[in-house]
Amino acid sequence: MITVSVKWQKELFKDVEIDTTQSPYVFKCQLYDLTGVPPVRQKIMVKGGLLKDDADWSALGVKEGQKLMMMGTADEIIKAPEKGPVFVEDLPEEELVVAMGHSAGLFNLGNTCYMNSTVQCLHSVPELKSALVKYSHSGRSNDVDQSSHMLTIATRDLFNELDKSVKPVAPMQFWMVLRKKYPQFGQLHNGVFMQQDAEECWTQLLYTLSQSLKSTGSSEIPDALKALFGIELVSRVHCQESGEESSETESVYSLKCHISQEVNHLHEGLKHALKSELEKASPSLGRSAIYLKESRINGLPRYLTIQFVRFFWKRESNQKAKILRKVDYPLELDVYDLCSDDLCKRLETPRQVLRDEEGIKLGLKARKDGKWIEYDDDNPIAQREEDITKLSGGGDWHMAYICMYKARVIPM
Amino acid sequence: MAPDPNASGSGSVPSKETKRKKDDKKEEDLSDEDLALKQQLELYVERVQDPDPGLQKVALESMRQEIRTSTSSMTSVPKPLKFLRPHYGTLKAYYETMQDSDLKKYLADILSVLALTMSAEGERDSLKYRLLGSEGEIGSWGHEYVRNLAGEIAQEYAKRQIEEAPIDDLMELVQQIVAFHMKHNAEPEAVDLLMEVEDLDLLIEHVDNTNFKRTCLYLTSSARYLPGPDDMLVLDIAYTIYVKFEEYPNALQIALYLDNMQYVKQVFTSCDDLLRKKQFCYILARHGITFELDDEMAADDDDREALQDIINNTKLSEGYLTLARDIEVMEPKSPEDIYKAHLLEGRASAGASVDSARQNLAATFVNAFVNAGFGQDKLMTVPSDSSSGGSSANWLFKNKEHGKTSAAASLSMIFLWDVDAGLAQIDKYFHLSDNHVISGALLGVGIVNCGIKNDCEPALALLGDYVDKEDPSIRIGAIMGLGIAYAGSQNEQIRSKLAPILNDAKAPLDVIAFTAISLGLVYVGSCNEEVAQAIIFALMDRSESELGEPLTRLLPLGLGLLYLGKQERVEATAEVSKTFNEKIRKYCDMTLLSCAYAGTGNVLKVQNLLGHCSQHLDKAETHQGPAVLGIAMVAMAEELGIEMAIRSLEHLLQYGEQNIRRAVPLALGLLCISNPKVNVMDTLSRLSHDTDSEVAMAAVISLGLIGAGTNNARIAGMLRNLSSYYYKDASLLFFVRVAQGLVHLGKGLLTLNPYHSERFLLCPTALAGIITMLHACLDMKAIILGKYHYVLYYIVLAMQPRMLMTVDENLKTLSVPVRVGQAIDVVGQAGRPKTITGFQTHSTPVLLAAGDRAELATEKYIPLSPILESFVILKENPNYREEH
Repeated sequence: MITVSVKWQKELFKDVEIDTTQSPYVFKCQLYDLTGVPPVRQKIMVKGGLLKDDADWSALGVKEGQKLMMMGTADEIIKAPEKGPVFVEDLPEEELVVAMGHSAGLFNLGNTCYMNSTVQCLHSVPELKSALVKYSHSGRSNDVDQSSHMLTIATRDLFNELDKSVKPVAPMQFWMVLRKKYPQFGQLHNGVFMQQDAEECWTQLLYTLSQSLKSTGSSEIPDALKALFGIELVSRVHCQESGEESSETESVYSLKCHISQEVNHLHEGLKHALKSELEKASPSLGRSAIYLKESRINGLPRYLTIQFVRFFWKRESNQKAKILRKVDYPLELDVYDLCSDDLCKRLETPRQVLRDEEGIKLGLKARKDGKWIEYDDDNPIAQREEDITKLSGGGDWHMAYICMYKARVIPM
Repeated sequence: MAPDPNASGSGSVPSKETKRKKDDKKEEDLSDEDLALKQQLELYVERVQDPDPGLQKVALESMRQEIRTSTSSMTSVPKPLKFLRPHYGTLKAYYETMQDSDLKKYLADILSVLALTMSAEGERDSLKYRLLGSEGEIGSWGHEYVRNLAGEIAQEYAKRQIEEAPIDDLMELVQQIVAFHMKHNAEPEAVDLLMEVEDLDLLIEHVDNTNFKRTCLYLTSSARYLPGPDDMLVLDIAYTIYVKFEEYPNALQIALYLDNMQYVKQVFTSCDDLLRKKQFCYILARHGITFELDDEMAADDDDREALQDIINNTKLSEGYLTLARDIEVMEPKSPEDIYKAHLLEGRASAGASVDSARQNLAATFVNAFVNAGFGQDKLMTVPSDSSSGGSSANWLFKNKEHGKTSAAASLSMIFLWDVDAGLAQIDKYFHLSDNHVISGALLGVGIVNCGIKNDCEPALALLGDYVDKEDPSIRIGAIMGLGIAYAGSQNEQIRSKLAPILNDAKAPLDVIAFTAISLGLVYVGSCNEEVAQAIIFALMDRSESELGEPLTRLLPLGLGLLYLGKQERVEATAEVSKTFNEKIRKYCDMTLLSCAYAGTGNVLKVQNLLGHCSQHLDKAETHQGPAVLGIAMVAMAEELGIEMAIRSLEHLLQYGEQNIRRAVPLALGLLCISNPKVNVMDTLSRLSHDTDSEVAMAAVISLGLIGAGTNNARIAGMLRNLSSYYYKDASLLFFVRVAQGLVHLGKGLLTLNPYHSERFLLCPTALAGIITMLHACLDMKAIILGKYHYVLYYIVLAMQPRMLMTVDENLKTLSVPVRVGQAIDVVGQAGRPKTITGFQTHSTPVLLAAGDRAELATEKYIPLSPILESFVILKENPNYREEH
C-alpha cells in the first residue's frame, strides 16, 4: 500500500492510497469517486508516461508520497456542430458578389477605358438590366440589323457575367461586337487601339440598345430606353429680325453642360447649353437669319444623363483640346427651373429632385448604403462621397465627364 | 587664453620694441617667478654635469623635487618639464658618460620622466630609463607618467613576444603599475595593461572591496569586443573575482553567459544562504535553462524541492497574474478591441456578412497573443451555453480545416504557464474526432508547458504516443508540442522518440521538417553529435525535388540550432555540410554560420554574411535569405553592432535582389524585437507599402515584432491604417492583424526580447523560437499562408513578462517604491555614478521597457540580486531607521 497525492486541475487530493496488488484500473475508480471523471477519460501522468489500466505497479516504481497528475473532464464533452459555417473562401462566385457588396471590374483591353466605364455605368441601372434579360436571342425583328442584335446580346451577356463574378472580367466578346458595329472604335494608332470618347460610345450604345429593345415589341414598355434615359425638350425658336416664332419638341438622351468662362457650376452650364443660336433660312425674310433657340425640359427620365462638354476642336492645331475648367456639381441636382411651364405645373408638389448616381468618366457607381465604388478598369476601389465631388475638374486630376442622376421618387 | 604663454601679448606690442622682441620674447613673457625657476633648473642641469658627486646629488634631488611638486596638473605640460626640454639631449649624452652608480640611476629616473614629453614616437625612452633607474615608487611621478609607461610597456611587450625575449623586468613594472592603478580608481587602465601583457590573473591579487565592482563591470563589458578566446578568459577572471567577493548573483550571470554548468554549480555550493540560493533559482528560471539541483547544492530535501520549484518556473503564471491585476488589465480583450476599426474613417472593411476563414484565423492569433497567459478571453474560454455545446467550440469551428489546429492551440496560449488549468481546458479537444483539432490540442499541451518543468512530465506523457500516429497533422502537433515544451532540456527520452522519425523513409517531408526543428530546440546550443548526425542523414536522404520544397529549410535550421552561439564548434558539421546536394549546400552553410555566431557580435562573420548578400545571383538560389537574417542574428549582441547592421541592411534594400529585400524587414524585426526604434519603424512603414507583396508582408509582421508587447501607439496607428489600405488583400490583411496582435502581446505586459539581465544574457531557447519563426517567414506564401500558420506559435518560446516583481523572504509579493528610468552606461566611470536617467518612481510590480533599469527607492530593503528584473527577493535592511 502506497499513499500518493494526485493533482487534478487546481485541486490536490492528498493521501490517496494505492493498492499495488490491484490493477491501476482500481486506482482510477478511486479517483472517479473523488473527481467524477470516468476512468476512460482519466489521463494519469507518471514520470513522462500515461498510466495504463493493466500496468504493473511494481514496474512503474511509484514511490511513497509521490505526486501524480491527472487530466480529464467530468463535464459533458463538446461536440462539433453538425453544420460548420460557410466561409467566403468556399463560396461560389455568384454568392461572393453578394457578400462583397459590389460586382466585378473589367479588364482594360488596350485603351478601352471609355468602353469599360460606359459599361459599368449602364450596368448599374437595374431597369436596363431587366429589360435586357427579356431580350431573347432569337427575338430579332426585321428592323434591326444583325450587328445591332449581336451587340445587344453581347451587352446582356456581359452584364450577366459582371453580376456573377468577383474577379475582373475581360469583355472580349462585347468589344469585338462593338467594333463590328461601330468600326471607328477599332481605329489603330501605331499598332495600338486609340483612345476614344466615352460620350460617343455611350451615345452609340444607347442608340443601338434602344433600337433593339424597341423592336422586341414587348407591349408594356414600348420604348424602354426612352423611358429610362430619354429627355423631352420643348424649344422655342425665335428670330429677332423677323419676329417669327415657332415651337418644336425633340427627345435627347443627354443634356449637355457647356463650359465657358462664366460657367462655374453645372447648373449654369446646363442653362447655357439650353440656349443656342442657329442660322436658318427665314421664310419671311427670304434669306438666312439668326434664330435663337431656347429649350426647356418637358419630360424627365428616370435617369438624367449629363455630359460635360470638355472637348472642343482647336482649329489652329487641328486637335481636340480638353477644357480643364472646374465645374462644381452637386450630388443632388435640382432642375426645376430648367423645366417647361407645363412640366413645372405637374411637378409643383413633389418637386422632383434628382440624385447623382453616376459619374461616368471613372465609372462611378453608388451603392445602396451611400458608399461609392471606383471602377478603375479591373480594380474596384471604394470611395467616399467627398471624393466624388472632388472630380469637378480644375486641375490635372480625374474629372467628371458624364454624370447620371437618378430620379428620387418622392412618395406622394 | 591660449595655453601656450609664448603666444600671448603679441598683438599690442609698441613698435619701437619690435626689434628687441624677437630676442627677448621668451624672457619677456615669463613672470619673474617662472624666470627664476628656469634659471634655477638651468643651474641644476649644469651642476648635474659637475664632477663633484656631492653637488651632482644635490642638483639631481632638487630637480626631482621640482618635477614632483609640479606634476599635479594635467591640463598643460608642467613648467619644470617644459624648461628642461632643451636640456634633455644634454642630460642624455651626459648619462651615457657616467659611471654606474646610484647617481646614474637617479639621473635615469629623471630622464625617464623627461622622456614623457621628449621621447620620439616609438623610442620608448621613458620605459628604457625607468628600467635603468632606481625603481622607486612609481606613482610619485604622477598619473600621466604611469599611463605613458603603461603604453610603452604594451608596445615593448609585443616586440619582445616576437623576439621571444625575456619579459621578467617588464612584468615587475606591470605589477607596480597595476597596483598603482587599482588604488587610484583607474581599473580600466589596469585591466587594459594586463590584457596587453596577457596576464589577467594578476588582477585577482589587486582587487579589493572598493574596486572589484568597477573592475568586473569593465571586464564584462569589454569581453563583448574581444576576439575569442580572450573574451572567455576575461569573463573567467570576472567570475573568479565575483566569487572571491561573494557577489554570487553576478558570478552566476557570468556562469550562464559562459554556459558553464560547473560554475553554476560552484555558485550554489559556495553559498550557504538559502534565501540567496532562491534568488539564484529565479535567475536560472528567467534564463530558461533546465537545471537539476543535487544534494551538494542544497542538502535539505525540502529546501531543494522549494528551490527546484523556482527553477521550474511553477510560480511564473501566478506572478504574471499578480502583475496583471496590479496594472488592472485582467479584463479580456476581443480582436475587435485591438483592430479599433471605428477609428478608421470611410472605407472600413465591408460589414462582412459571411465568415472569412483567413480573417477568422487572424482573429484566432490576435486573441491568443493579446490574452496570452491571462486565463480568460472572449473567444475560446467564454462559458459554454447549453444550446450550442459551448461557444468555445463555436469559435473553434469558425476556423477551417488546418485553421482549427491553430485555434485549438490558441486556447493553451491563453492558459500559458498555468499547466493545471491549461491541461484541464485542453482535455476536451482530445475527445473530438477531428484530426486538426487533436493536432492543435497536442501542440497546445506543448505551449502551455513552455518554460515550465514538472516532475510528472505531462507533455511527454500526453504527447509521446501521438508522435508515431498515422495522420501527419497529428504527428506534427505532437512533435512541435514536444519541441516547445522541452526546448533546451536535452531530454534523452525526447531524442529517442523523435530521432527515429528522421530516418523513417515513409514519413512525409513536413513531419521530418518539424522533427528536425523540435530536436534542434530540445538540444539547442548543445552541439550534440548524435542529433546532428540524425539531421544530417535526413538531409542527405532527401530527393532533389524535396530539397526544393519550402519546408526543407527547417532541416538546416534544426541543425543550426544545435550550435546556437557555439561559434567554432560548428566547424566539423559545417565541413560535412559542404558535401550536401548543391541545392541546399549554401543554404545550409549560411544557416549554420549564422546560428553558430548568433549573439556574438562577431564583426568578421557579419562581413562574411554581407559578402554573400552582395552577389547578384542568376540561378534561383535561396541562401541569401538566411544570410540576411544571419546578419541580424550575429549583430544583435550589442547596441553599436545593431546600429551598424541597420545601416548595412538599408544598403541591401537599395542594391539587393528581391530575395534579399524580402528578408531585410525580418532582419530589422529581429534586431529591434520588442524595442521599437523610430528609424526602424519608419523604414518598415515604408516597406509595408512595397510593390512586392512579400516584402510588404515581411515588413508588416516585423512592425509587429518590433512593437511586440509595447502597446506602441505609433505602430498601432500605422497598422490600423494598413488594415484599411489592404482591406481587399486578404493575405496582407492577415499579416496586419497578426502584427496588431503582437503589438498588444499580453496586453503590453510581455516582451519577445531574448536578451535579459540588462541585455547581458541571451536566452537561447527564446532566440531559437524567434529565428525558427523568421526562417519560416522567408517563404510567407508557402508556409504561413499555407497550412503551417501555427509556426507563429514558436514565438511562445520568447514570451516573458517584462516586469520587476519584488518578493519578501517568504516569496510573497512585496510592493516597494522603485525608480525606473533609462539605463546609463557607467562602464569605466569612477566613483558611484548615477545609473539611470529620466526616472519615475513607481511601486512594484512594475513594467520595464527596452533599455530601462530599475533601482530601489527605499533603503528599507536590500535586493538579493543587483539586477532588478523579473523576480527579485528583498531582505530587510538591518541598519534601516525610519526617517521622520
